[in-house]
Amino acid sequence: MLLAAASARASTATYLFDGRPLALTHVSHAAGAAAVGINDPGLRSLVRSLGAVITWHPGERYVLITTGAAQVISFSVGDRGYDVGPLSATAEFAPYLVGSEVYLPLADLLRSLSLAPRSDGNATVLQREITSIDVRGSAQQAILVARGAGSLSPRVASESGDTIVYAFDGFGSTLEGSRPVDAGGVRSMQVRVTGSVRNPRTLVTLTLQPGTRHDPPRSNDGDFEVAFGGGGSAPPLLAGGASAPVAAAPVATMTPVAEPTPPFASASPPDGTNASAAPAGTTIATVGGVSVQNGSDGATVTIPVVGNAQFAWHRLRAPDNRFWIDVQNAHLADGPLDQPEPDPLISVRVRQIDPQTVRVALSVAGSKNISVSPSATGIAISVGTQEVADGPHFGSGSVGTLVSSNEPQALVTPVPPDEYGQNDAGATWKFGPHSTYVPTRPKLIVIDPGHGGGDVGTTRNGVTEASLTLDMAKRLQAILVARGWQVQLTRETDVDVKRTTQSAQEAISDGYRSTDAQDLQARDDIANNAGARLFVSIHVNSFINSGPSGTTTYFSKPDDVPLAQAVQHDLAATLGTKDDGTIKSKLYVTLHANMPAVLVETAFLSNPDDYAKLNSADWRQRVAESIADGIDQYAKQYPVPSANQ
Amino acid sequence: MKSSRALLLLLLFVAVAFGAWKFFSSRGPGAADHLTVYYTKLDGTTLGRWPVSLRTQQSGESDIEHLHNMVLYAAVQAVAGPPSDVSAIRFPPGTHVLGVNVHGSTATVDLSKDVTSQGGGSFGETGEFKGLVYTVTGVPTIQAVQVTIEGSTVATLPGGHLELDTPLRRSDF
Ligand SMILES: [Zn+2]
Repeated sequence: MLLAAASARASTATYLFDGRPLALTHVSHAAGAAAVGINDPGLRSLVRSLGAVITWHPGERYVLITTGAAQVISFSVGDRGYDVGPLSATAEFAPYLVGSEVYLPLADLLRSLSLAPRSDGNATVLQREITSIDVRGSAQQAILVARGAGSLSPRVASESGDTIVYAFDGFGSTLEGSRPVDAGGVRSMQVRVTGSVRNPRTLVTLTLQPGTRHDPPRSNDGDFEVAFGGGGSAPPLLAGGASAPVAAAPVATMTPVAEPTPPFASASPPDGTNASAAPAGTTIATVGGVSVQNGSDGATVTIPVVGNAQFAWHRLRAPDNRFWIDVQNAHLADGPLDQPEPDPLISVRVRQIDPQTVRVALSVAGSKNISVSPSATGIAISVGTQEVADGPHFGSGSVGTLVSSNEPQALVTPVPPDEYGQNDAGATWKFGPHSTYVPTRPKLIVIDPGHGGGDVGTTRNGVTEASLTLDMAKRLQAILVARGWQVQLTRETDVDVKRTTQSAQEAISDGYRSTDAQDLQARDDIANNAGARLFVSIHVNSFINSGPSGTTTYFSKPDDVPLAQAVQHDLAATLGTKDDGTIKSKLYVTLHANMPAVLVETAFLSNPDDYAKLNSADWRQRVAESIADGIDQYAKQYPVPSANQ
Repeated sequence: MKSSRALLLLLLFVAVAFGAWKFFSSRGPGAADHLTVYYTKLDGTTLGRWPVSLRTQQSGESDIEHLHNMVLYAAVQAVAGPPSDVSAIRFPPGTHVLGVNVHGSTATVDLSKDVTSQGGGSFGETGEFKGLVYTVTGVPTIQAVQVTIEGSTVATLPGGHLELDTPLRRSDF
């Protein structure tokens, strides 16, 4: 049974968002402060325009919102605690029910969506905010990452020899100020908000050394990311924070980056005071509940931050392997922490090192990869298990959203430690038992060119997977026949194997029930009915971005394993592709073939290098030869039981 | 005034009733207070893990409701994936969980049709669903995940490779 608040009358509140009026009609003040109903059409449209999705059904206690940046915001009826990504926070009041509709604390919801209500005359504007700007630097390059409400795609407002200005139109920020960067050719960064409350614009100005190059900016799940590097003479190592801060713009809220003062003689991180002072009149942020989760992939340290803060981090090179992050303009809510940690960490220390600075220092076992991810509600630091030769060794940035002064500073609770008790090796067998399948036609191999007919498979520039797989299958057929095998193809031309009149759209409305299963089962039926010895399906891989490349042999059943290993053995080396190995998956065609079966994903059409290879007839011939070699190798190693032929 | 006194009485009554209920009801098996979100790395098979906090069973939340909520939370987290700066095989943009259902040890996860928008190969399909299955079966008592799309069971995605008309288990990957 869920507890419902007693009678609450919904009222309407009107805001301006992205220049247009936005009416929230399910607003209640039953808990003293404003709450908004989850079915509010205005709220729904607001969430949609931020690229976020709400998962909630009437009667459900949980309200889950997935932001455009892949963060899950989670509220629950009756619980003041809510989560934003890995960080937990406490709301002004617990969500409650009115009838069957959940009402959420409006201020906390807006903050977790990186929106700030600001008044302008009689209107309240819901400003999109930039909630974190982060520069990760090494001597060679600096990467600027900005995050905020919705997808960030700023324009270059101006660019000259030594400055570049990115304009985030429609975005406000509380992160104004300047800071030195001194990495990758970037000397300093300045954040300034201009425009009006209704039409804000956040300008990020980078001062560059002459000759600094920068990559074209890219959007990564809504984040804005741009890399700089290679300008002029190499900047000194650990240069961050060495210089005095540049004078800050109107509202000076930035403090200098803490001086790292290397080298350190002692084994402990530098706990000395620094000279930074919080500017007068600035609300100080709260750091609370620093926690560590350990897993086989490494450790994640989360530092929840309420309010606006700047941070700067440093890591020392091997053999020292220390890392520390200073959160400036911040006050530590809990007492100091000093605890040993399992590998890849050795220990974690948390201290208030001066009235304005909280330092979290990690002792790391070796030169592990470390990444620092700021968000609106804090900072997560991931320490991996892999040794890296060189990664970014310092970075700085700002986190925070508007916290109005009459709002209570929420208490922050730690994310509980993770346990990894499960054996997720699962039932993946490394070696398949010797096949008990006895083919009725031990010389017959069925080759399945993937897709065809109404299903072209993956495509790029008019090149289709269906045509490539048919070409490679025919080449393989010719080679195997020349070597004395009998071969049957599941299709000889560009057709569906189970001819169907359904279009893809009809298939969707039909729940894909018929076409795909029938088509795939028909391919298996050809091999199963003929009693073939082996089944080999040929495909071309693809992904939503161009990154992944290489050659993989997929399998599904224990019987498939030796064949997959034999086929994959020399394949990538012969083809000059990345060797992605053999992978077990529940693929339809391999699972439903009675005999040992594999599905070869020859290369990625979505990767430029692989694409060029796939377009070469020579290369496709080598695919056929190498698969044929694998089949012969397998046949030699695993002769058919009582084969008389 | 009258209404606030009524509210106070109601709250008092609820609190007493609730305390009694709590006293008599047996708590479920040691509810986990964290959840591991698994994702498949860009090698196409290795799992990465991302821990997120998980609410403990709330007062007034039955065992069945809590299990449902944990499965829902796990599925939503798995489809969202790890933070955007972590390299992972991700569901096609826009893919979201429409709802979940639990029958015995099988959780049904209903996905939006955005999941069909990616004409990918075995790589993407295997990576996406491996992460989802490992994450959801990390919820105590859940052994298998039946995927549906907009309420329908599908044999495979359109032009797809992975079989989806029977429940997926960790041992399938
Ligand atoms: Zn394919």
